[in-house]
Amino acid sequence: MLAMRHISKVFRTDLIETHALRDFSLEVAEGEFVAVTGPSGSGKTTFLNVAGLLEGFDSGTYLLDGVDTSGLADDARSRLRNEKIGFIFQSFNLIPDLDIFDNVDVPLRYRRMKAAERRERIASALDLVGLASRAHHLPSQLSGGQQQRVAIARAIAGDPKFLLADEPTGNLDSLMARQVMDLLEQINEMGTTIVLVTHDPELARRAQRNVQIVDGQVSDFRPYEPHARPAPMAAAATA
Amino acid sequence: MNVQEIRPILSALLRNRTGAVLVALQVAIALAVLVNAVYVVKQRVDKIGRPTGIDVENIFVVTSAGFGAGYDHSATVRDDLAWLRGLPGVRAAALSSGVPLSGGGSSNTVYKTPEVKGEGTPVNYFLVDEQGVDALGTRLVAGRAFRADEILPEDPTYHEPMPSMIVTRALARALFGTDDAVGKVGYDGLGRPITVIGVIDHMQGSWVDWDKLDYVGLLPRRAFGPRATYLVRTAPGQRDALMKLAEGHLSASNPKRMIQHVRALDYYRDRSYRSDRNMAIFLVVVTVLLACVTALGIFALATFNVSVRTRQIGTRRAVGARRADVVRYFMVENWLITTAGVLLGAALALAVGYSLSRAYQLPRLDLYYLVGGVVALWALGQAAAWQPARRAARISPAVATRTV
Amino acid sequence: MFGYYVKLAARSLRRNPGITSLMVLAIALGIAVCVITLTVYHGMSSNPLWWKNDRVYAVTLDSWDPEEPADDKHPDLPPPQLTWRDAEAVTASGIPLRAVRMFKGFGVVSSDAAGSVRPENAIVRVTSADFFGLFDVPFRHGGGWKAAADSGPEPVAVLSRETNERFFGGANSVGRTIRWDDRAFRVVGVLDDWHPAPNFYDLNNGAFDEPEAMYVPIGWAPVLELKSAGNTNCWKPEEIKTYADFMASECIWLQAWVELPDSAARVRMQGWLDNYVATERKSGRFQRPDNNRLTPVDQWLRDNDVVGNDNRMLIALAFAFLSVCLINTVGLLLAKFLGSASITGVRRALGASRRQVFLQHLAEAGLLAGVGAGLGVLLSLLGLYGLRAMYASPWGGVTSVMHVNAWSLAVTVALAVGAALAAGLYPAWRIGRLAPSVYLKSQ
Repeated sequence: MLAMRHISKVFRTDLIETHALRDFSLEVAEGEFVAVTGPSGSGKTTFLNVAGLLEGFDSGTYLLDGVDTSGLADDARSRLRNEKIGFIFQSFNLIPDLDIFDNVDVPLRYRRMKAAERRERIASALDLVGLASRAHHLPSQLSGGQQQRVAIARAIAGDPKFLLADEPTGNLDSLMARQVMDLLEQINEMGTTIVLVTHDPELARRAQRNVQIVDGQVSDFRPYEPHARPAPMAAAATA
Repeated sequence: MNVQEIRPILSALLRNRTGAVLVALQVAIALAVLVNAVYVVKQRVDKIGRPTGIDVENIFVVTSAGFGAGYDHSATVRDDLAWLRGLPGVRAAALSSGVPLSGGGSSNTVYKTPEVKGEGTPVNYFLVDEQGVDALGTRLVAGRAFRADEILPEDPTYHEPMPSMIVTRALARALFGTDDAVGKVGYDGLGRPITVIGVIDHMQGSWVDWDKLDYVGLLPRRAFGPRATYLVRTAPGQRDALMKLAEGHLSASNPKRMIQHVRALDYYRDRSYRSDRNMAIFLVVVTVLLACVTALGIFALATFNVSVRTRQIGTRRAVGARRADVVRYFMVENWLITTAGVLLGAALALAVGYSLSRAYQLPRLDLYYLVGGVVALWALGQAAAWQPARRAARISPAVATRTV
Repeated sequence: MFGYYVKLAARSLRRNPGITSLMVLAIALGIAVCVITLTVYHGMSSNPLWWKNDRVYAVTLDSWDPEEPADDKHPDLPPPQLTWRDAEAVTASGIPLRAVRMFKGFGVVSSDAAGSVRPENAIVRVTSADFFGLFDVPFRHGGGWKAAADSGPEPVAVLSRETNERFFGGANSVGRTIRWDDRAFRVVGVLDDWHPAPNFYDLNNGAFDEPEAMYVPIGWAPVLELKSAGNTNCWKPEEIKTYADFMASECIWLQAWVELPDSAARVRMQGWLDNYVATERKSGRFQRPDNNRLTPVDQWLRDNDVVGNDNRMLIALAFAFLSVCLINTVGLLLAKFLGSASITGVRRALGASRRQVFLQHLAEAGLLAGVGAGLGVLLSLLGLYGLRAMYASPWGGVTSVMHVNAWSLAVTVALAVGAALAAGLYPAWRIGRLAPSVYLKSQ
């Protein structure tokens, strides 16, 4: 699903060079639920930006669902983001002017879908997160947990293969956090690959596999072993 | 404020300069427009406000047109003037060949010598009768007015000689180089002498845009028909009532002529200055709007900047900045932007002023206007930034610890 | 997608109503001030006979004082009018398709028919038969007079629509009698509405002078010893005792116009003029250098400063104002777009391309400019209405060019599109260029 090999990314200013990622390699198989952890400043955010195609990198290769992303133009990266990746942010990042329905609509709009199909997808995504009845509320009228569920609905409405969640529970209390994690697991069971970036080991434990980034490198990189720990979704997928 | 204070503000500005550049550009254009507009308006207001030398407020003008067989011009004029002069409240009434300040009139050239050599002096002349000086309300400073017995008969050929003339001081100076012109002699185009018998202090003539507007001469002759123009001067406050009375009586008094207009002299004056007045109004309106747009622009941008920097300001407060420090930060920032604008604007204003002075043959833009404009825009900028700066100062230091 | 952008734009504009109305107002004011000044400028400088610009020419000859030019401000130009004999010679040259000599006269116009209608002191144009054909003057009833009526002269007259309205209640008055200074003239034609602005064919008393009430044959001038109600300028000290002296004098008081259908005719006419002046010079006239001109209408309007310095200054002022309004809008839009950069970042993360982000923001600027332009049209209507009041005169005069017409609407649309592009392009481009991760970082 996601294969990063020997990625390096350097931030340069006039005075210093910072290696945010160096010789960074990571593979995530289709259907996996991987937690990426690491102390702050370790390169987590850079990994997130590179994996999410928000930023480019200096060397190495990055294959997303078989597509080589190095050297892709901004437009192509935008399309890949739109079609293959769903984002979930720590601070939800709902658009305050738009109601819930329109928020979930945003990625679909950029895919130029027909109105009927968009409506259908929005309805089912909201259904899944249990907020169908709130479709015409504004984000500010919802609790934090509800807002994050809307963000999840927005992330999955376009049916991406890959969800990228950045501290999705960081702004939530523990009850709400649990609900959100349950939801993510549920989505993972339906076949969507999830990469969860967090500094919280508690949360990371719920993933099938943990990856730790230290100083811009994966500290315990292991190639994926398909049959070592079968993911629950494998059963669902073959059923 | 000192350099230590300005440097960080300046470097913050330079790092995020687009908005500041845009505001400075606005300030620059506003300064160039403001300075030159005020200058032009001042010129126009001065022009409109020049003393006329005429009792404009108390004079009205009657224009009559005779037509048809059997119209007797001399008799009509005699009767009209007799009736007008007999009205209580009328100080004087005169037959005139034209209306001063109206934009229509006659001129001729007077020479210094009978040989008619060299450049003559243009004279805007009015044919008047013995009450002419009085009906205009001009002040005689030397010599005398015309006597009734020296008023010459009508001359439709414009050819008969003019033995005497009353001149303005400006004309006397142009013709003879002295105010003391009584008894001096000028010559018409055919070398015939014209003797000055009186000097009036000042009087504006026919064309307000003419640079020799006060080169006015009064000549003792009845204006020829069949049209007649009467200048009637009234006692203060009685003009309007007398106009109504005159229109009623004169319209009915003679079926062989029609009264074309009975109008106050200030109607003609206002009409002549209308484009100057409207230009001044237009300039003032646009300049005020421009200042408002600029001020609102500064205000809105400052407000935005404050809202964007809420956290930063909170942090400053948290580390010990007083409210006054925050206010001062924004005021200094605004002052720096405005100053950049006025520097650019001063160059622009001088360039615009230069091209204006060429187009209008005006004296070069006075630098006082520029200084005034710079001060005005500094004040405008500071006033516009004041409220946003105060709002910034009210931001709580607690913002710094709050997660968004 | 376009509909979606407009929807988003409207929502975004509603979010900061204060800023939005400031920007709309700024654009509207800028556009209105420009439209007003441009409309007046365009009207003043417009050529009312544009379709004949390559055929109709004013004739001027430099018969002025050898010592000095006729006009200090334009020393290169000949005087704007002709003497009686030169005007007569030009119209008698036989070369032009049509030729007119004329002047502005005046007198009391009255009618027996109307009885109670008050006589009117009016402008009467004393002109040649070709006047109506040369200037394409439209008739409502009847037509002009024959050339023979000029030399006769015959007591015939053409009335303006307004004069016909006043004295004959708008009926077809052809064949009826109108009185000019109590002399009977037979009406041969009534004009349709015809008020060329500027009144290019006689600019001596301003480009927006009172229109004529009536037209009579030029031959009446010597018969009735008519003088001009316009300008008469004389430079030469000479004995003028009789009207015959006046007609023979160097005083200029007539306008002369010719219609030359092609360049060959133009060359022949120019040759004739040069030859005429050369001949006259032998008898002591025309002591200035040759300056014999055939001037088309557009150049004529420029030579006569119909559009003054004030108008040019106002145009410059209007554009300075518009540019401040636009710079203001650019600044506010930029601040606003950058202020909501994090939302844009979310959109980028969700797959919006740079182009989509750019277009979305351009749509916002366009919507703003559209609303601004609409308001601008209303404001310019108000402004022109106000200007008409400021310049009101009994006959319309310069207010006739102060109308919103197809031309000024086209200018408005062009200005609005230009304003939207000018104000929106840069901020939209800037926001499109930012890397998406940069916005998200600002969270």
